[in-house]
Formats: sequence, C-alpha cells, structure tokens
Amino acid sequence: MTSPAAELRGITKRFGAVVACDNVDLALQRGEIHGILGENGAGKSTLMKVLIGLVLPDAGAIRIDGEQRRIRDPAEAAELGIGMVHQHFSLVEPLTVWENVILGERTRLDAAAARRRVGEISERYGLAIDPDERISDLSAGLRQRVEIIKCLRRDPAIVILDEPTSVLTPGESEQLFEVLRLVVERENKAVALVSHKLDEVLAATDRITIMRAGAVVDRRETGDADAPGLARAMVGRPVSLRSAGAALGHIEGLEDGVAASEPEAGNGPEATGPPPVLSIRDARARGRDRRTLLDGLSLDVRPGEIVGVAGVEGNGQAALSDLLSSLLPLEGGTVRVRDERPLPGRPGAMAAAGVAVVPADRHESGCVLDMTVAENLTLVSPPRARTGRALLDSAGRAILDRTGRRAHAERLIEQFGIQTPGADAPMWSLSGGNQQRVVLARELSGDPAVLVAAQPTRGLDVGAIEYVSERLREAAADGVAVLLISTELEEVLDLADRIVVIFRGRIVGEMDRADLDVERLGLLMSGAQEAAAS
Amino acid sequence: MAGDFFFAVGDVLSSETTYSSGWRLAVALGFVAVGEWIAERAGTINISVEGAMLAGAFAAAMGYDASGSVAVGLLIGAAAGLLVGAVQAHFSHNLTANQFVVGLTLNILVLGLASFLNSSLKPETATAHVFEVPGLVEIPLLGPALFGQPWPLYLLYPLVPLAWWLVYRTRWGLEVRAVGENPQAADVSSIDVNARRRQAVYIAGITSGLGGGYLLLGQVGWFEDAIVGGQGFIAIAAVIFGGWTLRGAMLGCLLFGSANSFRLSLPAVGHPLNSELLSSLPFVLTICVMALFAHRTREPQSLARPFIRGLR
Amino acid sequence: MTGVDAGAGAGDVRYDRAREGATVLGIYLTSIAVALVVAALVLLATGGSWTSVLSALLDGSVRGPGRWGTTIGVAIPLLLVALGTIVNARAGLVNLGQEGQLFVGAAFGTYVATHIGAGGPGVLFLIMLAGVAGGAIWAGIAAVLRYQRRMPEVLTTLLLVFVASQAVGYGLKNKNLLLDPTPDQANRNLISERLRPDTRLPRLDWFGNEFPMTAFVALLMAVLVALVLRWTIVGFRLQMLGRGPRTAHRAGVSEARYGGLALVASGAFCGLAGAFMLAGGDFGNYRLTPNYPVNIGWEGLLVALVARNHPLVSIPVAFVFAGLRTGSGFLAATGVDRDITKVVQALLVLALLVPPAVLFVRNRRRALAAAAERV
Repeated sequence: MTSPAAELRGITKRFGAVVACDNVDLALQRGEIHGILGENGAGKSTLMKVLIGLVLPDAGAIRIDGEQRRIRDPAEAAELGIGMVHQHFSLVEPLTVWENVILGERTRLDAAAARRRVGEISERYGLAIDPDERISDLSAGLRQRVEIIKCLRRDPAIVILDEPTSVLTPGESEQLFEVLRLVVERENKAVALVSHKLDEVLAATDRITIMRAGAVVDRRETGDADAPGLARAMVGRPVSLRSAGAALGHIEGLEDGVAASEPEAGNGPEATGPPPVLSIRDARARGRDRRTLLDGLSLDVRPGEIVGVAGVEGNGQAALSDLLSSLLPLEGGTVRVRDERPLPGRPGAMAAAGVAVVPADRHESGCVLDMTVAENLTLVSPPRARTGRALLDSAGRAILDRTGRRAHAERLIEQFGIQTPGADAPMWSLSGGNQQRVVLARELSGDPAVLVAAQPTRGLDVGAIEYVSERLREAAADGVAVLLISTELEEVLDLADRIVVIFRGRIVGEMDRADLDVERLGLLMSGAQEAAAS
Repeated sequence: MAGDFFFAVGDVLSSETTYSSGWRLAVALGFVAVGEWIAERAGTINISVEGAMLAGAFAAAMGYDASGSVAVGLLIGAAAGLLVGAVQAHFSHNLTANQFVVGLTLNILVLGLASFLNSSLKPETATAHVFEVPGLVEIPLLGPALFGQPWPLYLLYPLVPLAWWLVYRTRWGLEVRAVGENPQAADVSSIDVNARRRQAVYIAGITSGLGGGYLLLGQVGWFEDAIVGGQGFIAIAAVIFGGWTLRGAMLGCLLFGSANSFRLSLPAVGHPLNSELLSSLPFVLTICVMALFAHRTREPQSLARPFIRGLR
Repeated sequence: MTGVDAGAGAGDVRYDRAREGATVLGIYLTSIAVALVVAALVLLATGGSWTSVLSALLDGSVRGPGRWGTTIGVAIPLLLVALGTIVNARAGLVNLGQEGQLFVGAAFGTYVATHIGAGGPGVLFLIMLAGVAGGAIWAGIAAVLRYQRRMPEVLTTLLLVFVASQAVGYGLKNKNLLLDPTPDQANRNLISERLRPDTRLPRLDWFGNEFPMTAFVALLMAVLVALVLRWTIVGFRLQMLGRGPRTAHRAGVSEARYGGLALVASGAFCGLAGAFMLAGGDFGNYRLTPNYPVNIGWEGLLVALVARNHPLVSIPVAFVFAGLRTGSGFLAATGVDRDITKVVQALLVLALLVPPAVLFVRNRRRALAAAAERV
C-alpha cells in the first residue's frame, strides 16, 4: 500500500483546560471518502482545522504523501494540496463568483483566466454556474457550489468538507455526494467528510473514523458498519436510536418510532382540538435589501402541541423567528397570540403577548454576553407587562429591584441546573450549553403561551440536546404551544407532533406525525411539490 | 438686490481665478479623499486623516526648511502622514481600539505637537514654482486652473487612476474590497484581514501627508496651526458623499472645493454672501445626501467594525 | 461560530479576580509610563526641561494662589460633557459632536440672555434651560437621522460640529441674533453682548479660590448619573441596548426611544456645559465669541474615555485634564510652548486606549477558546 495522502499522528490540542484533540491518529487515503463522525464538540472540526492550518496543534506530526510537514496557515495547506469547503462565512457577497473563487490566491489578478478556470471546473464536475454572477444573488445551494469550485480550483489532492449538507435539500445532498464520488474515483483524490449525521456517513463514505471527547474511539470500513454500532461508539453508551435519533442524524429510527409514539399522543392535537394560541396569517415581509423574506406565510399552533417547521436553511426560518421576536415588521398579514394582536416589529410586543423565544443565534438576540447571568435571567419583563412608560418597569417601579432579581436568578439557576460560578458571573464566562440553559430558563419562567425554539440544539452535545428536547416536551405537556424551527430534519421528526415545511418564505406543506412520509417531506423541502401541496 | 447678486455670481464664474482657486482647493481635498476612499473600502473610517494632513504640512515645512527642496519637503510630508496612519492602523487594527476615538485623539495629538514644535522650531518655507503645461494652459477658463498651477498639484493627476487600478485591477485591491465587506470570509480564504486594513490606512496616511505637503508648499506657503482647518473632515465627507465610489468621491471634492473658493472670491467682487452657509455646505450636503440615498448607496458592509478572529 | 459547546463547564474559565487585577494594573502602568516617556522625549528634543515644566504645571493648576478655583472652573464643563458622553456610551452610541452641541447650547443661552432684557434667578434659569435645549436639539438632529434614516450617529454628530460652528458664526455676525448691537463695536468683532451681572452664576470664594457654584451642581449630577445608570430601570435598559441591541429590542427596549433619549441627553449635558461656561465667567468673560468651546467638548469626550465611562471616576479625571489646561498657562515662564500639554494629554489618552482593548480581546478569546473551538 502506498503512503496515505495525509497522515496525522498523535495530534493533541488543548484550549485552556479543555482537550479538543487528544493524541489523535488519522490517515486519509487516495481514492477514498473518509467519514469523520462524532457529535458536536467531539473534536472533529478542530482536527480538520489542524490539517488546514487554522489551528496549530500542541503536539503531533502531519505527513503529506509520506513527508513530514508543518502547516501554519491555510495558504501553506493549499500549497500542499489541501482544500476545504467551509460551512459558513467564506464567500464575500458583493463580489462576483470568479472573484470569490480566486480570493486568497497569490498570483497576479487575471479576470479572463479566472473566468475560464471557473468554467472549466464547473464543466468537469457538472457544477453549472455563471462566473460573473454576484454571490448576493445566489441561493444557498448555489453558494455551496461556489464554495466547492473555490476548493477544487487548485486541484487539491485532499478535499475536506465540514458538515456540508446543513444548507442543502436531501436531493442536493445526493448530488453533492455524486460529485464527491466522481472526485474520488476519477481523480483519485482523498476526501474527508466531517459530519455528525449517521445516515449521511453511512451512505456516502468508504471508511469511518469515530471521535468522542477529543479522541478516536473506533474505525470501521463503511461496509462493515451499522447504525446502532456507530451510534454506540459516538455517544459512548448504548443509545436508543429512537430517543437520540435527532442528535445522531438518523431518520430510520425515527420513522420506526412512529407507531410507538402513537398511543401516548394524548397531548397531541386532535382535529377538533382547542383553538390555536398562535396564528399567523398571510405574513409578508422584505429585508433591508428588498429581498422577500416571508411570502404569505400562514401557520397555526395549538396549546400543547409541538409544531416543527422543517426546511432547508435560508428559506425564511430566520425571518419567522425574527417575526416572533418582534424583530421583523410585516408589510402584510397578521399575527395573533391568544386574543391579542401584537404589532409585529414593535419592541417587546411579542414578548408582552406571551411569546417566548429561544433564538438560533443566542448571542445575537437571546442573551447579552457582557451582562451577568442574573441580569440575563431577567432581561425580558414578564408578559402582560404592557406599560408604555419609558422610565418604569412592568410593576411601575423606576428603581431596579436588585435583591428580588438575585433571588429570582438563583432560583432559576438551581431549577435549571445552570453551571455558573455565581449569579454575578458574566454571561460570556459560561459554556454554550449553559448559556442555552439561561435562555431557556428565562423564557420558560415567564409562563409563556407560545414557545418558539429556533435551532435550539445547534452546537450542543448529546447530553445537552437531550436536556433541551426534554424541556420542550415538558413545556408542551404543560399546555404551551411550541413552535420548533429547525433545519435538522431529524430534530423535527423527533419532537414534532405536526410538521410543516417552509420554502421560500411560505408554508408549502403539512404532515401529521402519524402519516410521516420522509420522501415527500424531502420533496417539499426542495420545492418540488409546491404545486401538489397547495 | 437679486440682480446684484447674479452679477456678482456671473463675475465670479467668468473669472479664471475662480476656477484656479477652486481647483487648487479641490485638489487638496482630493489627495486626502483618494487615500481615505481606499481605507474606507477596507473597512476603516479614518478620521485621523485630518491629523495626517497637518502632520504632512508641518513635516513638509521642516523638510523644505532643512533641504530647500520642494520635492524633499513633499516626501517628508508623506512620511509624516504615513507615521500618523501607522499609529491609527496599529491601534485600530491590531489592538482593536475604537477607530474613531483613536482618530480623534491622534488629531488632537498632532495639532498639539505641530503647534508646539512650530513655536520652537519655526521652519521657513516658500511656495513651489508654477509649472505651465505648454499648450494645454491656453484652454480658455479651465486651462490655467488645470495646467497652470504649482507643480505639486499635478501629483494628484496620476494618483487617482492609480488608486482605481489598485483597488479594481490588482489582487491587493480585491482583497481590500473583500476585507471591507466580509472579513470573516476573507480570513478563511487565508487573507490577513487586519494587515490589509492596516495597509489601506497607511495609504490614506501617505496621501493625506502628501495633501498636507501640497497645501503648504503648493498653496499657502507658510505653516500655521489652522492651515488644515477641517479639510481632512471635508475629504471624509466627500468619500461618503460619493457613495464609496472613487468617481463620486472626486466629484465631492470638486464640489466642496469649488464651494470653498466661491466663498473666498465672493467678497473680492464686492458681495457679502453668506460665507458660513458655503463653509458648512460640504457637511450639510453630505448629511442630506446620506439621508436621501441611504438606502441606495452601498457602503462597505463591515465599515467601522473591528475584526478579531473568532469574534464577530 | 455560533456553535458553542456544552461540555466545557463554567469552571474551565478562570475567574480569578486578584490575579486579574494585578495584570490589569500592570498593563495600565506600562501604558502610562510609555506615554510619559514619549512626552519627555518630545520635550527633550526641543531642549525643554521636564522638571521645570512639571513645576510650572503644578503651579498653574493647584499650587499658585487661587489656582484651585480656576482649575475647578474649567473642570465643571469637562465633567458635564463627560457625563453626557457616558450616558450615550451606555446605550452603545458614539457621539463625537460634543464640541458642536456645547457651542449651540452656549449660543442658545446667549440669545436668551441678551434678548430677555431682564435679570434675576428666573432668567438665569431660563438661560440654563436654553443651553440644555440647544445642545439637545443639536444632538436630536443626529438622533432623528439615526433612527429615521439609519445614518450612523458617529458621522452625523461629527459633521454637525462644523455646521454648528458656522451657524453660530453666522449668528455672531447678525445683530438680531447674537452680535453685540452696541454702536461703538466694530462690525467685525464678532462677539456677543456681555451677560448682565444679575444673570451671571454666583461665584464662591473658598480660601482665595474663586469658582462658580455650579461646581456642586456638576458633582451632584455625576452622583446622579452614577445612581441612575446603576440602580434604575432606565439605566438597565440603556445598558441592555448598548450591549445587545437585538436582544433589547426583543425584550421591549425601543432603540429609537432609548437610543434617542441617550443621544439627546448627551447633547443636553453638553448644552448645559455651554450655558455654565457662559454664565460662569471662566470662559470668554460672559461673552460668546467665535471658537467659544475651545476644545472643551473634545476634551470632555476624552475625560469619559479615560474614566472608562464611569461617572464618578470622571470627576478626578476632569480635574486632572482641567489642571493640564490651567497649568499650561504658566508654561510661558519656562520658555516651553503651552501646546506641550495637549501633546501630553493626547499621549495619555492614546496610552489608556490600549489596556481595555487588550483585556477585552484576551478575556473574550479565552472564553471562546474554551467553548467554541471544540465544535
């Protein structure tokens, strides 16, 4: 056997007291798609960042084609033939496709040559794109196409993809895997596919390395692997694919669970159930750049049910969440919460009407990093506080009740098991999972009528995911109307009583948990069945 | 009354000196604006150009005093501007201190330093000689303005296309635009974001220093504390007024420079027009343009936001 | 980089106050030392002696007879401007227009004082009110532009400084507005009428140090601002707005209302500073002149900055800055130009910008490294 395209030996990386990678070995062979599987925080991304030069390891060696190398930045990695398709943040919107593709090269700028190059690559791999199009005009799927072209432009020997399917429809994901297959078989490249989704890794790879808590725990040939075994290795204990299916990206288990869940569907909605507490009608909104965000979206959520909004990222999920966070005014349509009609976009209107939100980006609209935990636990005035007076709080006081706040905070810290040095510790000093608990605690403590959870488990490990899921179920059981917005289909399938599909700013289809049809769901998400659904 | 006014305006408009002085004033702004434009495209609103201009003027005076050569004076002026730019760049794109606060403080520092040093060193200076471009200077009205000026003025003529070429036709320029729009993306594309931003600020410092040198050696002839008097800020206004395009920025300089010369020449023809109105024109106009076209002009998306890897 | 990991427990982030304090102190002392060394070098380069400069500065600011009073007189507007800046910064806004807001405030005060034709405490109060209104209106323009047209307040406030000085300049040329109408005044003198003695602020005399009684008003306001920001709902909401605008909006804090309030308050403080300067007697001898604010606005901004936006800390900082200014008047005897104090001041401010920036990046990196990098 020839020496591997890339070989990492004994890679160790610490961040403070946390060991992100602990003596990790990995070999990427030519002509193979190598899946690197692990839950969030297992260290797989750090490992790849070491290979691409974004993170310098504390110990360990890298061999490229059998020769020992030091990789200090992405440019050096590129010279050694290592390319990466990034998940987010790597395209500059106002620039054109070709400008983005050659960004980061060191040669003289030659527009004609760059356009030609884009044309060649797109032809070779069947990734059609217009080199002069601006990125801002492209859809999420096309943007990823540009990312891939950008990666392949230098004909790398090693291609790394980090969670590439999070922005794709199931159909687009399959296309992507076909391209990867092509790259591996026809050009004998080595591909590393980083993922936390079992199904994807099982379907697309030749070999799997499983990581947990910074270390490699298992290696398999994909042919010899099965879902339960991989799941066990990933989590470190036997897990029910039913209960942890969402966290592990495994749909099959979820489908199997349908029958089992039916008897306990007592808290689910019946057709003649209670009237909806949240009801959005024909919501229309545009962003600052005049692009349509919501295009006649209508949605009902009844008390005690969990409605899952499935869809590919960038189809209006953020706008829907913003709408219910009072962050987005509407150009048309209405929002009704219980008997009230809060004015969309007016500061605090939704919160006052009883809509609690766990936002997708908690740092942006969920918490304030530079304030204390206690302050973060009391940011939002309790509902029904509809005082318009600027100087007073909901109880009509002008002076902060610091003692009361502290007591309240300590109660919540205890109740939600938030790990913090104290109520006065700054929010930024908490880990992501604990920050999420703070947000959850605050939102649930306000006794809401509606709970919106947008990507509530993104970036959390399995333990935290299970905790959050449990809390959402409990909230529903207590009669809260829960709206779960997630691009992780598995998560939606796991939690929702009813699933609606969002596509281009509108709801294009609906499905009860009981009549689940994953294939049809996938088609809806890609917009293919829009006509049929409506 | 109104008739008088229009006569006066007519006199001003038909006089070659109006165009000459308007052009001279516009060029002083143009030096600063051309560099500031690049800095803003890279994501910095660099208000220390005012200080860089003053530093350039004073250093040019010192350089001329020491060497007797205008060229050496200009060179030293540019170097002083670069020094101010370098401080601004390192404070705002290395230490990530607030760029406005740094700029403001630098302006105060340079003003203090220049007046302090001027009072103890008292450089002696003169104006550069006028160079008339043969043939072109004969063009009626505009000829003397464009081609019959002290020679340092002509330095701006190649500088403008050079800046355009730099930003739109070189890899460095592409990277500058990228870091001004989306530094995170530029970073993962292995571009050193803060280095590009610093370099853009250096350039703004150099051209501002040059502008200060031109102001002293090409226009005023001696150093005084008030020699710059807010022209750096007017140049910043011109860049914003121009909607972050080079063409627009230069147009802004021309407009604001002309307004200034109009203000200076009106009393000369015996009409006391409201000079305060004309002086505040650049600022009022810029505010109005921003207010009216705020939705249409596209400012660099990460303008005035520091970049720290790993933070947003 | 949204993904943050739950596995890293809170204990992973070191939260050791004592060691942290020592490091912070170290960074600050180093920065200040560097600034002073650079200032000394500038002085040496021109042949000055830093001991005589220091001595002159001390004489001029505190040691000379009656100098405490003079310094306090300068510190009052500095402190007020700084307080406004702090309120504004709390809401996450950057106001660079203090100089203009102060000037407009002083002009409004002058207009009222010279047009009412009466005196007494009531009129004095009206002058103060006019000053507040002037500053608030000038900052209000920026607030409207920010919240109606999304124009960054940094730029508008800055640009409005120059508009303000031209506008007041115009007023000072016009007898109906601000120009002194006395016939024997030459037309070009561009100064206002003097305030009547019964519309001037009472001055106190303590141990030979004379200063306006507004010193106590300013101190009281510093305490008040500190209390409001720390203990009231408004203070809490301003802070929320400043540190997490989207979170604040969702929680019911209107950006336009609270942000506008903060900007206008900031302008009002500047306007009040202008009125105090006018009626206090330490500036321009009770007359409005061109360039009346003499950089008090800019320096007040720096006071807030050096005090790291803490109202009570700005009291001593304002006094020190005032001392540099009053002390510089005594430099003539040493043969060193008084502008050296501007250099020292700016160098100190630059030096003091470094530590917070360094600390912010360090702390935040540490926290994120422990959490985000693992994903």
